Amino acid sequence: MKGALRGLVRGALTAMLGLLWLGCQAHQPAALFPPDAAVLRLALADDVPTLDPAAGYDTASWEFEQVLFDTLLRYAADSNDLRPDLALSWEISPDARTFTFHMRQDARFTNGRPVTSADLRYSIERVLNPKTRSQGVQYFLPLLGAADFAGGRAAHTRGIETPDPYTIIFRLDKPDPIFLHKLAMPFAAAVPQEVVERWGDDFARHAVGSGPFMLKEWLSGQRLVLVRNPHYFIPDLPKVDAIVALIGVNEELQWLKFEAGEIDVSSIPPAEFTYVMKTPRLKALTIHHVTATTDYLGMNCQMAPFDDVRVRRAFNYAVNKEKLVAILNGRGVVARGVLPPGMPGYDPDIGGYPYDPAKARRLLEEAGVRQGFAPVVWLTADPTMMILGQSIQQDLALVGVDLVLKPVAWGPLLDAVREPRTAQLFLLGWGADFPDPQNFLEVLFSKAQWGANNDTFYSDPKVEELLAQASVVAEPTRRYALYQQIQQLIVSDAPWVFLYHPVAYVIRQPWVRGIQLHPLRPARLDYIYLARSEAARPRTPSAAKAAP
Amino acid sequence: MLYYLIKRIAFGALVLLGASLITFCIAFVIPADPAVAIAGAKADPHTLAIIRGQLGLDRPLYVQYIRYLGRALHGDLGRSYARRQSVSGLIVARFPATAALAVCAMTLSLLLGTLGGLVAGAYRGKALDNLLLTLSLTLVSIPVFWLGTMFLVAAAAYLRWLPLGGFDGARSLILPSLALALGSAGYYSRILQANLAEVVGQDYIRVARAKGLSPTRVMLYHALANAILPLVTLAGLDFAGLLSGVVLTETVFNWPGLGRLAFEAVFNLDIPLIMGTVLFSSLLIVVANLLVDLLYAWLDPRTRLA
Amino acid sequence: MGRARLNWLEMVGGAIALSLVVLALFAPHIAPHDPTQAVAQTFGDPGPPSLAFPCGTDQLGRDVLSRLIYGARVSLIVGVSAMAVAMTIGVAAGLCAGFFGGWTEMVLMRITDVMLTLPGLLLAMAFVAILRPSLLSILLVISLVSWTGVARVVRAETLSMTSRDFVLAARALGASAGRLMIRHLLPNIAPTIVVMAALSTSGTLLLDAGLSFLGLGVPPPTPSWGRMVEESQIYFRTAPWLAFFPGLAILYAVLGFNLLGYGFLRRRRPQ
Repeated sequence: MKGALRGLVRGALTAMLGLLWLGCQAHQPAALFPPDAAVLRLALADDVPTLDPAAGYDTASWEFEQVLFDTLLRYAADSNDLRPDLALSWEISPDARTFTFHMRQDARFTNGRPVTSADLRYSIERVLNPKTRSQGVQYFLPLLGAADFAGGRAAHTRGIETPDPYTIIFRLDKPDPIFLHKLAMPFAAAVPQEVVERWGDDFARHAVGSGPFMLKEWLSGQRLVLVRNPHYFIPDLPKVDAIVALIGVNEELQWLKFEAGEIDVSSIPPAEFTYVMKTPRLKALTIHHVTATTDYLGMNCQMAPFDDVRVRRAFNYAVNKEKLVAILNGRGVVARGVLPPGMPGYDPDIGGYPYDPAKARRLLEEAGVRQGFAPVVWLTADPTMMILGQSIQQDLALVGVDLVLKPVAWGPLLDAVREPRTAQLFLLGWGADFPDPQNFLEVLFSKAQWGANNDTFYSDPKVEELLAQASVVAEPTRRYALYQQIQQLIVSDAPWVFLYHPVAYVIRQPWVRGIQLHPLRPARLDYIYLARSEAARPRTPSAAKAAP
Repeated sequence: MLYYLIKRIAFGALVLLGASLITFCIAFVIPADPAVAIAGAKADPHTLAIIRGQLGLDRPLYVQYIRYLGRALHGDLGRSYARRQSVSGLIVARFPATAALAVCAMTLSLLLGTLGGLVAGAYRGKALDNLLLTLSLTLVSIPVFWLGTMFLVAAAAYLRWLPLGGFDGARSLILPSLALALGSAGYYSRILQANLAEVVGQDYIRVARAKGLSPTRVMLYHALANAILPLVTLAGLDFAGLLSGVVLTETVFNWPGLGRLAFEAVFNLDIPLIMGTVLFSSLLIVVANLLVDLLYAWLDPRTRLA
Repeated sequence: MGRARLNWLEMVGGAIALSLVVLALFAPHIAPHDPTQAVAQTFGDPGPPSLAFPCGTDQLGRDVLSRLIYGARVSLIVGVSAMAVAMTIGVAAGLCAGFFGGWTEMVLMRITDVMLTLPGLLLAMAFVAILRPSLLSILLVISLVSWTGVARVVRAETLSMTSRDFVLAARALGASAGRLMIRHLLPNIAPTIVVMAALSTSGTLLLDAGLSFLGLGVPPPTPSWGRMVEESQIYFRTAPWLAFFPGLAILYAVLGFNLLGYGFLRRRRPQ
């Protein structure tokens, strides 16, 4: 018996050691590249949701999709100007309904074959196809015959014509002055049909594109590795040989790795922000810009008492937005309207709602809201939002409102706000998809978007009329003037408590150059380069290790 | 013996079935429309209908349950809504980190627990006994997420060579396994002490002593070997629990394990992933129970008749 | 129940539990500041312990000491009530299982088996995800997860009692099942129940702290020790005191009930 027991114990111990070894093997920091290769090392808090252009609709996915794939047009590295990418030149018809593109002939997918107009048509139809479940459908529905194609009544979209392999023509059913911007979204990236059909739903994990980088390895929850595409049509790009993105590294850990020299670029965790800004050497390495985003407290205009404009205005006066920005260590700009700075049509003179709790109390009394009113605000459970929610709770408590927080995950939050009578209040943000006020004002406040993006279920006849007018105006000055008028009306009606525009901060190692923050998109990874002499220096415990 | 084995396996399977049924019911009480979760709320009704058809959501509940079971037996646990990947793939990818942590934590807790139990058993004087009792009760009362955080604080300030989270090789295991192990160590040392006290009073110990063997030798070889068996079986069940992932520790140390995966699944209302992780951990516990039962049956024939 | 003289475990544990009750009852009089409003301008930059604020201030300018004191309310309410519900269900189930045996026992024990197989924390998380996080839902969830352990112990105790002479005698005299259970069995297993009550409370306290730490506990603005630890996680390098004090409070409370429980145990089985 003793012997058998001993054997069993030995077996169990071996099994356990095996498990231990397995675990450590799977999680070694791998040395993947020769020491003289220029490798950009990044870290991400969460796994990249997808690398499939038709599926991705978030910053993380787009950051990598935009260097793995190409679109007809792309933005300049640091501005909203559109530049050629797969297209060399294009013409727009005077009625803004026909767009003709002439494509370059030297673009190739990484499996060797050239990118043609047929590929572009396939890619956009793939977005329209309901089986792909893409969230980009709405951007291409204006194409002639798109609805028929999506409904399965036609084999192809009439509005996309490919007269020859390097010419593609788009026809819309009504004028759309900003259609070019939609073609610059990753949804419109060229993907190779044969690879998509081979992998189906798993295409993201075997992504093949024509961009400056190609996918080398994607270990779920651990790392994403991209390498230079040797066949990329711009010979100088990308400037680094590879990118290694570590996954599952939260902000505090990112900072620690950055201090240790293990990653090249990092975000700055809230706890370290004050210290970084007070240290001149570190402050010099930070880059920041005001994002084209507005964070707000949305109020459901169909649910009492938020159907009363006095209550909505009262909430605007009650919330101390300067305090919010202070809690964010100053990483924000107080919002006085809907549009963020840098967005065409932004109105620097708009008054907004200054902090005035006395006025708030008066308005609430007028509107008959009793003391102890306890509305529920839906928000995501992330730590920053929870802290901001509690700050708003503090402010509202001072005017007799006992705000209740309901933290949920992102998916359930979106579900709830899209129901007409579920969420009274919600904390959300909206980032611009393209540089036009329509992307904010029409998408968020028109009746047509009820149940989609108009989560406040706001509607005003005058606003509707002006929105319809403005959407077809191609001439910029008149267009933006109309949208400014619309914004004034909306701010006065206050379907939101306008909170702040986040300011994004990033810190880089001294040897990292070429980072250009873009208002609408993640910074392009193909322009970043490493100053060789400093990159070659071994990882020394730099002065950055001096603890606060 | 074979009959006993079959009986226990059948029982285990029944329990597993019950667990899967409860989980399935929970999943369907959760207020989330899977089609919307996948397609995004901007999708039109036609798309949503297609997805529901693809997922078989239009079939009656019991049909869905049976189809789920059938696929599960083949290792197909569906695709995660939030992460667009196969659930079994996700579980397999996260399991090594959890397994490594579980092994280290269990080893540490058994070592420390045994040591503690031995010391307490050997020195059964009043004052020291009370001190050790307080110590083990304190260890059992410490919230593990706080202990982990305090370890991080100490390491950040004084022990710079320790990694402060994540899993980058063997050194990362030190802090999280220690945090996990201390609580169990306190618990195990109490149990071992109680068992030792019982064993030491028995005849064969007195015989060994009478034979002239040294007290230490008696304690270590004879008493301990017999006292430790119940502890090891308890540890075996705890090990299965550890293998399912310990979400609190994994959160504190940013550990890429199953616990964190399960938590995110619940939070995202990611039904396939919730079901997959719960089934997986239930399976581990059922198997561990089975092994423990078998061990007892083998060692003590009397229990086979129960 | 035994000699009136308390052992040191009961004394220390009792003192701790009493102190918590006092803190919870008289929080508004003991706490120096309002726990939810900002009392210092330390927005985004927690302030270290000082004379004015002995435990420091957090990133919303709130006084940590006041929040600790008010936190005792939530902990006690959730911990004790969850224990009460869990004990009620568990004792009832265990008594019935042990007394009636047969099908009742089998069904009840299978249910506890299945529930013990499902990972407790995960179940709790799933339930909280369905219901809106509030005091009541947390309470229900924690008790649902905790009753099975109680049931098992009570069943074992009941089994050892049912063959005793007084039970057989009472049955022979025609006493009804209910009467037997309440009049005769319950008082005899009362000592076990008391021990379990204390130990169970420490368990529910820990579970509540864990759920709060994961963000699933009683929602803000009510201060909760577990959530205080969670909110201070990101400051572990720059403001470690923020996480230190709330965790210490949890340890204090849990240890108190563990000592109390062990004290009661010692009384029954002096070792």
